Amino acid sequence: MPFCNSRRVLLSCTLLLVLTSAGQLAVYAQAAPLKQTNDKTAATTSPLKPLEIDIEGLKKILRRGADATPQHPLLLNFWATWCDPCREEFPDLLKVEADYRKRGLEFAAVSFDFSEDVQKALPDFLREMKADITPYWLNLPDPEPAIRMVDPQWTGGIPTTFLFDAKGNLVFKHTGKVKVAELRAAIEKVTSDK
Amino acid sequence: MRKHLLFALALMTLSLLFAGVVSAQTSAMNGAGAGPAAAARSIGATVPDFTLTDTNGATKTLSDVKGAKGTVLIFISSRCPVVKAYNERMEQLAKDYKARGINFVGINANSNEPLDEVKAHASAHYTFPVLIDKGNKIADQLNAEHTPEVFFLDANNKLVYHGRIDNNRDQGMVSKSELKDALEAVLAGKAVAVTETAAVGCSIKKVE
Repeated sequence: MPFCNSRRVLLSCTLLLVLTSAGQLAVYAQAAPLKQTNDKTAATTSPLKPLEIDIEGLKKILRRGADATPQHPLLLNFWATWCDPCREEFPDLLKVEADYRKRGLEFAAVSFDFSEDVQKALPDFLREMKADITPYWLNLPDPEPAIRMVDPQWTGGIPTTFLFDAKGNLVFKHTGKVKVAELRAAIEKVTSDK
Repeated sequence: MRKHLLFALALMTLSLLFAGVVSAQTSAMNGAGAGPAAAARSIGATVPDFTLTDTNGATKTLSDVKGAKGTVLIFISSRCPVVKAYNERMEQLAKDYKARGINFVGINANSNEPLDEVKAHASAHYTFPVLIDKGNKIADQLNAEHTPEVFFLDANNKLVYHGRIDNNRDQGMVSKSELKDALEAVLAGKAVAVTETAAVGCSIKKVE
């Protein structure tokens, strides 16, 4: 941590690191289901702290771990608050998530935000969006392995939206602002009618 | 009777012509999709000469801007924060390698960035030319998706490296400089070790 070089703050930084690691453990522990137990009022009044994940955390979301068996279709969006089209499409994705949640669609929004934006810009935006979701922040010094793991054809442009069916097969992908009608049509094909 | 026959013949010719146009368009669309475009992006493929205009409206072909020993095409944006973080690094690399025979060329394919803005951004940060890819023709041909995204061509316009400049937006944190490694390899007459890399960037705002 670059701001941990002064002796005065060393103790508090250590504490922060410990807390962060504990937070990550909590993420792994609640791998499935992905939904946070935040109630709506909490989401709108208190800061929505994103959950920091690394490549292992992303693997859990993708359910590509050894013990993971995919059961639900997964809508996976990569975004950042510094990305205009990402911000623009976010309300559409939240609407899609709300519409298909009951039909078994899981949604994960994974942010590539710069570390300087994680404390304020990211939670502020999520609050503004009234986002009732688990926001993930992928914190990797080099995100290439994560990009390659999600899809070897993806070069890392955001926003990119992926839809995996219940078996974990990639069935839809779009880089740039997502076309909602196309996305909904793809989701219809992989969700049950219940 | 003869008139009718002529009319029928003319109709047939017209419909054949129409069919030809349609099929040509279809193959062009395929080209923008997975088929030939994917080939154009694959390492070892030759990038055909193209014609674009620079920020002053002057027509430039790839042959006009290419370097004697190679050409680095970088898709850029005047708005993308990731590009902004790389402005100085791109300019430095461009200066260093121009002296050694490799030219850098920026390509802006974002339909939402007005020419004035692109021009102002380019002249403030780069000494290398920036070409405007109106209608994202070249971006589609190369299957470029984000900024900054690099396509490094050797002296024969063969793609030898595709991907990022280096592995961290924060210059102080960089531990791998794949573009620089590729440039050095080509200048030394060696094969490029890492030919494909990925990094987070801004999706190119293409016209549909």
